[in-house]
Amino acid sequence: MTPDARTEILARVRGASRGAPADSVRRELAGLGSAPAADPPAADLATAFLANVLRNRGTVDCARNRSEAVKAVGDYLYRQLRSQRLVAGNDPNLAAMPWRDSGLLPRFGELEPGAPAALSYARLGVAETGAVVTFTGKGNPAANNLLPAYHIVLVASDTVVPTMEEAWQWIGEEMAATGRPRGINFIAGPSSTADIEGQLVYGAHGPHSWHVILMGEEVPADALERARAIAGP
Amino acid sequence: MKQNSEAFLDQAHDALQDSAKVRRRELMASFTPLARDAAMDSFGKFEALRNHVKRVRQHALDNLGHYLVQFEQEALANGNRVHFARDSAEMNSIVLNICQQHGARRIAKGKSMVTEETGLNDYLQKAGLAVTETDLGEYIIQQAGETPSHIVGPALHKSAAEIRELFLARHDLGERSLETTADLVGEARTILRQHFLDAEVGIIGANALIAENGYSMLVTNEGNGDLCANLPTVLIVCTTVDRILPRAEDATAMLRLLVRSATGQPQTCYTSFYSGPRRESDLDGPLEAHIVLLDNRRTEIMAGDYREMLECIRCGACLNHCPIYASVGGHSYGWVYPGPMGSVLTPLLTSLEKSHLLPNACTACGRCAEVCPAGIPLPDLLRDLRRDETAAKLSPSRWRLGMRLHAWLARHPRLYHRLTGLGIPLLHRLGRTRGSFRRLPMADGWTSQRDFPAPQSGTFMQQYRKAARRRGARRPQ
Amino acid sequence: MRTDQPEQHRPPPRFRVSLFVTCLADLFRPSVAFASIKLLQRAGCEVDVPLQQTCCGQPAYNTGDFDSAIPLAQQTIEMLEPADYVVVPSGSCAGMIVHHYPRLLEGEWQARARELAAKTFELTTFLSDVARVRRGRRPAVSLPTVTYHDSCAGLRELGIREQPRKLLRDLCQTEVKELKQTEVCCGFGGTFCAKMPEISGKMVGDKLDNALATGADILAGGDLGCLLNIAGRARRLGKPIEVRHIAELLAGDLDGPAIGEGRR
Repeated sequence: MTPDARTEILARVRGASRGAPADSVRRELAGLGSAPAADPPAADLATAFLANVLRNRGTVDCARNRSEAVKAVGDYLYRQLRSQRLVAGNDPNLAAMPWRDSGLLPRFGELEPGAPAALSYARLGVAETGAVVTFTGKGNPAANNLLPAYHIVLVASDTVVPTMEEAWQWIGEEMAATGRPRGINFIAGPSSTADIEGQLVYGAHGPHSWHVILMGEEVPADALERARAIAGP
Repeated sequence: MKQNSEAFLDQAHDALQDSAKVRRRELMASFTPLARDAAMDSFGKFEALRNHVKRVRQHALDNLGHYLVQFEQEALANGNRVHFARDSAEMNSIVLNICQQHGARRIAKGKSMVTEETGLNDYLQKAGLAVTETDLGEYIIQQAGETPSHIVGPALHKSAAEIRELFLARHDLGERSLETTADLVGEARTILRQHFLDAEVGIIGANALIAENGYSMLVTNEGNGDLCANLPTVLIVCTTVDRILPRAEDATAMLRLLVRSATGQPQTCYTSFYSGPRRESDLDGPLEAHIVLLDNRRTEIMAGDYREMLECIRCGACLNHCPIYASVGGHSYGWVYPGPMGSVLTPLLTSLEKSHLLPNACTACGRCAEVCPAGIPLPDLLRDLRRDETAAKLSPSRWRLGMRLHAWLARHPRLYHRLTGLGIPLLHRLGRTRGSFRRLPMADGWTSQRDFPAPQSGTFMQQYRKAARRRGARRPQ
Repeated sequence: MRTDQPEQHRPPPRFRVSLFVTCLADLFRPSVAFASIKLLQRAGCEVDVPLQQTCCGQPAYNTGDFDSAIPLAQQTIEMLEPADYVVVPSGSCAGMIVHHYPRLLEGEWQARARELAAKTFELTTFLSDVARVRRGRRPAVSLPTVTYHDSCAGLRELGIREQPRKLLRDLCQTEVKELKQTEVCCGFGGTFCAKMPEISGKMVGDKLDNALATGADILAGGDLGCLLNIAGRARRLGKPIEVRHIAELLAGDLDGPAIGEGRR
């Protein structure tokens, strides 16, 4: 990097900019208001979230509490893989799950080559886009999100927000408390590509199966059923 | 990338001969607009969103001096090294230096049109580095030694059969059938997995840079960009100075338009924000993170008539809706960016002399502007480039003189009516039996593809005047 | 013009309209202009045709010769601005006046261009939306099957889509047999078709195929540029579809040869 390039580019950019003072810029930006978001497919937040996860070609399950959640994880693994082999990030939320209730104990750490399934704990869920949000960090190896064939994500229903704008508010508060994570990942589906003749194929580099388990007492009993009806076949 | 836009017409001719590829383009051209329309109809607030994002984008460009400084401050605070590059040569050199400092030999690369612009891959490969494109479409064309034909789906011009032949030839994996598209993707997944794990440097682009917190945003469906950003020990983000948005929410608002416009999805599978290198609390990630901010004439465009073109978010919708792109395909345009947006950008980023045919590859049908999520008046910009072309005398002189003569005549109605009153009835008499001409002097372009309908009679003005005179004569004094 | 009726029995005109016939109609297809006059008069308009009209300046403008287009635009504005209404049987020429004159000109001329734009209408739009033409007691024009080509300028600059279809329904009791990909350009594009003939040929070939696939006897449209292009291709390939301007259909003027057709 030459200092000259920076000086020159900054000078040119400033020359083509308005040169307004910072607080004037901030006020103008604030005055632009908010972007319209997609309408939720259901009035109830949990149902809307689940419906959009389904539309994203994820599979879903609901669990009223952590005990049901670990059983749901075990059931999923058995259905898909006839196996109990699971890696989970060293997230305290995952470590604290009542694993003995499911008879399953994940290996905590980073995905090893050939391991078929990994479990992550989402920071939040976004109903608008049917996405789960993870931060990089000791509790969440990138490999666990990006490399296994099967990716299971646990989301607490009280961390589901309606829109991206609310997601950023939430993330902003997190960042103010614990600093900026290296990476913030919004995951809204299994890995896919349509690069060959426009044909959609799952499991491009990442998971071909993405399973989201929504945990919470207050999730309506019929949320799953209604979400499936909304998402369609 | 090497440019060959002067050969647009020859390349278009070749493209029109390959009937299988013509057919594929027809299919894409009929399908992609439907996917986009369905997604926008389902969203329901396209105009409102487009207007909002446009205002934010204009504000960001108007105040880029402020936001660029803010972004740099935040990115540095996050632990990045921030580099500025005035042109392609500087960007390439900066990237090579970083790789050489680390003794890197293997690069894993996410899709980046900016690096196509600068010819980064070739440059690094000539210096002895192995660069592997990890986006499936980019990987395919890299293996085939071709250039992208579309800014979102670079390999969409290739059939599955061609890709199968390519993989069988290039991957030393023994006997296998690779029958389905899923098989092809599966093979690419296996091959590329090792490249992600082995690469010492990851190079990615950025869909946006966030001024308020110094993050860069990357969207993919495959997740390959994230693998490049997380696994290698060095990360280099290559992008341009005009990609900066004020806040994270502005970037995700823009994404609501980008993905629906590009693929008809409501969002991409992976939407990621990276702040910089590994910290104390991190388990993984690059030890060193670099952001290279390229100008390459963006500041020049900012200061000129075509500033609005910088608002392009690279969705490719204009390509998908352009009948000329559909007819001749992306390679005909001879550079990185094809279709309507490419026909504006190529003259601005290279030169009008070398690419003045591109703004002429347009009927001003307006379909591009209708769907452009950035609200860029592409037909108007293309016409303005034709104005520049005329002023620079780049178009053939017979066209320029012909237009001037026609306009001059039209400004002299009596002469115009007299001349047409002589010529048109003559042409009518010559053509009235058959009804049209197979050939007509000075009309080769037209008659090479269709007959030239003969005038119906004398001119209207001739007949109308005559009738008016008769009526005047009949009216009592 | 109905000069046979004594002055005092003629009802006052609902609208005073200046007709801008367009250079293509003037030179290649006067029946479009005559049919337009007929339709406007039936709708109760007093129609005058400014005698100094030649061309709106689109060819020069679209090829980037603004220096030539500007004086021509000014001349056209000066000629047309005294009118109450200006009607144009072409989406692209009407679009030129309505959208592009204000873009092309500055200062006082731009203001005059905007004023003219406010009272300039494409023909089917004027008949349908301003004059609100209905058939009344006139018998319906009988038509064979019709398919319709929407010109890009008309569609996207002026929002013309329903108007010709409504008029065909009302005046001719005809439902348009829609062609596929009706919103895709026919490849005329002014000078484009001559500058890039092969590409234009592909586009017009596709458009013609779509029109023929409807099985309609007639292809109608509101823009002669497009119609000359499509008719020329049809004649070159020997395809029997008749190409006519919407004004001719609505006025019932179907006796003469269609575009590109010789004497029968």
